Amino acid sequence: MSRKLRFVIGIAMVVAAIGYLITTAIQSTSEYYLTVNEVHARQNELRGQTVRVAGRVKPGTIRWDPDTLTLAFTMMALPAAESGGAVQPVSTSPPVYYDVISKGQPRPDMLADDRDVIVEGEIGSTNNLDARQVLTKCPSKYIPEKKG
Amino acid sequence: MPLLGQLALALALILAIYSIAANIYGLRGGHRDSIVSARHALWAMCAMVTVAVGVMWNALLHSDFTIHYVASYSSTTLPTVYKITALWGGQEGSLLFWTWLLSIFTAIVAYQNRRKNLEIAPYALSVMAGVAIFFLAMLNFVTRPFVLMAHVPLQGTDLNPLLQNYWMAIHPPSLYTGYVSATVPFAFGAAALITRKLDDTWIRTTRRWAIFSWFFLTLGNLFGARWAYEVLGWGGYWAWDPVENAAFMPWLVMTAYLHSVMIQERKDMLKVWNLALIGMVFGLTLFGTFITRSGVISSVHSFTQSGLGPYFLSFLIGVAVLYAILLIWRVNDLRSPAEFESYLSREAAFLFNNLALIGIAFAVFWGTLFPVLSEAVRGVKITVGPPFFNEVNAPLALALIFLMGVGPLIAWRRTTPRNLLRNFIAPAILGVATGLFAFAAGLREWYVLAAFSLAAFVLGTIIVEFRRGVTARRHMVSEPPVRALANLVAKNNRRYGGYVIHIGVIFAFVGIVGSSFFKTEVKRNVKPGQSFTIGAYQLHYLGLDPTETAHVETIRARVEVFKNGHEVAAMAPAKLFYKAAQQPATDVAIRTTPVADLYLVLAGYDDASGSATLQVFLTPLVFWIWLGGLVMAIGTVIAMWPNVRERAAIAAAVRGRVENAELAGEPFAGGQ
Repeated sequence: MSRKLRFVIGIAMVVAAIGYLITTAIQSTSEYYLTVNEVHARQNELRGQTVRVAGRVKPGTIRWDPDTLTLAFTMMALPAAESGGAVQPVSTSPPVYYDVISKGQPRPDMLADDRDVIVEGEIGSTNNLDARQVLTKCPSKYIPEKKG
Repeated sequence: MPLLGQLALALALILAIYSIAANIYGLRGGHRDSIVSARHALWAMCAMVTVAVGVMWNALLHSDFTIHYVASYSSTTLPTVYKITALWGGQEGSLLFWTWLLSIFTAIVAYQNRRKNLEIAPYALSVMAGVAIFFLAMLNFVTRPFVLMAHVPLQGTDLNPLLQNYWMAIHPPSLYTGYVSATVPFAFGAAALITRKLDDTWIRTTRRWAIFSWFFLTLGNLFGARWAYEVLGWGGYWAWDPVENAAFMPWLVMTAYLHSVMIQERKDMLKVWNLALIGMVFGLTLFGTFITRSGVISSVHSFTQSGLGPYFLSFLIGVAVLYAILLIWRVNDLRSPAEFESYLSREAAFLFNNLALIGIAFAVFWGTLFPVLSEAVRGVKITVGPPFFNEVNAPLALALIFLMGVGPLIAWRRTTPRNLLRNFIAPAILGVATGLFAFAAGLREWYVLAAFSLAAFVLGTIIVEFRRGVTARRHMVSEPPVRALANLVAKNNRRYGGYVIHIGVIFAFVGIVGSSFFKTEVKRNVKPGQSFTIGAYQLHYLGLDPTETAHVETIRARVEVFKNGHEVAAMAPAKLFYKAAQQPATDVAIRTTPVADLYLVLAGYDDASGSATLQVFLTPLVFWIWLGGLVMAIGTVIAMWPNVRERAAIAAAVRGRVENAELAGEPFAGGQ
């Protein structure tokens, strides 16, 4: 066997091994990343699964108990204009809400009314999410609160 | 004043365009003074961008809220140091800062090559000017930093509190310096392709720039990790977030590049590969900016999403296509007569080190882009989180560490098995002994056992290598061992600096493995006077301690820490409330020892009862990550240090008016 061929085989084996690692790892670790509306549409199919859901905190729904580290809030869909195309058809269906409960984690500093969040957690039987992790997007810029 | 900044940026753009035109004119018609003029234009461009940066800094320091940027990212109560760092706190400022660094590096390269590399330097400078034109066009037309406010507010919106931290003050400049300086070797690589001067001149000329870039990429990543550890308050330092991945990928590919160019310098092989690698590094720096700014990939730290994405993507695709065409066009000139001879050779070890590094980079790239890819192919977004990255990269990291021990000790071309045995017997015994010792101490995780054994093995090989050098030196010159060691390192700084970097990598690797596998966590709701235990520590909660300044309100929990009945520390994790931004923040308390870090978070508190909920992490060996980073930095400085012999050779070359670009470029590329 020529030297060149021997090296080509060695390199091919390494590349194949890395490819195999990536494929199996993706199969064993991937999660759906969905919006609130998408989760709602597939509610029955996804029940009990761990998914990532992107949404927005419904104003006035945050409840926080510092003694038990229990955080609860209601998540609503991101406004259509910001999640995709410029012109969206007028939606006739009622808005979808998910109740998020997170236990045993500190309240994220950036969590506030109308902030965008990504919740990783288990889909419950009704529109509720048992959160393992609540990630808040941290905008590098603040919109000052409108007063009056 | 804002007008001055805007004007300076416009002039800088014109100067960059002029510089390219003057270079083309000069090169085509052989007009030497036109090439000189192109160089002067780049210096003037640098001066103009500096003026713009000066205007912005001045406005930030004087809280000139007529400028939109200042009103958005600063406030009168912001501490002075953060007014300075607010320059890179937002998008327009970051781009301005980026462009400034690019213009400075371009000016330095123009100066360095004013009398040498006359055949390729004008092309390389034109490539750099081309990149500068893109950024300056962004600053002039798309994301203008000097936009004025319609109504001047009395107070600014303040800098994001998460960014009000000293690590965040130095993390972006380090990373940007690393990113931007990678443009230099890329520009010379492209120039070599254009001019067909495809020997290793371009590599030797930019060797220090590549190491410089790597140095700052390393620091940038570590500072970012340290920032995440201290500020984000989740007890970890790395979450495989797209933004982190964007900073990590160029580092990986640059590491591969720094190793594989040694094969080209030594064996005249892998020429296409090296040019491809440096192209990838540059592409990844643009890609990083693209994914963080475009909102294509959702990141926890998503920056201001803006219309910048498409521009960066277009530029990235344009550069990639042009560069690929150049590379394919010249591929016949890049064939190498030499080939790999044996698996038991240093070049083979380097080759597989490159495969592992690129493999990791590809896995990170794939995992980062997976949501986008899966949506395009299957119509549904699927993400992979940290488990994916850990699962793929853990075995590849082991392979890399192993090769790191093997590479330096085996000979070029081929090694006999007997030779191999002689060099490796002592380090191998050290590695196995470490594994057995760890097993006896109760460790049962196979990965940890393998990792610690390999770490010991690599440290063993490095010690063998140092010892061999010192012994050889003392055979020739009679010197005491310490002096011999110092002289050895000084005479062969590139090589031994590299070994020092390897020691740092091993430290960091041990720290990452230890902190990933053995982290423990306790959460407790405590009233003043109550205690609880984690590991060997007893924590005694005393109470809450509120304070207030004009800028920030603070609630601090006072905690006494005991070990074996003795008080070892008083710790005070806190919640902060930034008034201008109306934003809470977490201030963790960390007690570091080489064995483990004790990490306290005030997760919640009740003003009325004075009770607090404390989240406590005990994370072993984290200390070694930061120490490893320091050692890597020291090693890099050693490797970059100007060598006496090198300097003498350059002086001789200049005296002899040698115009041979190769000789004048970098006469002594390595002390091997």
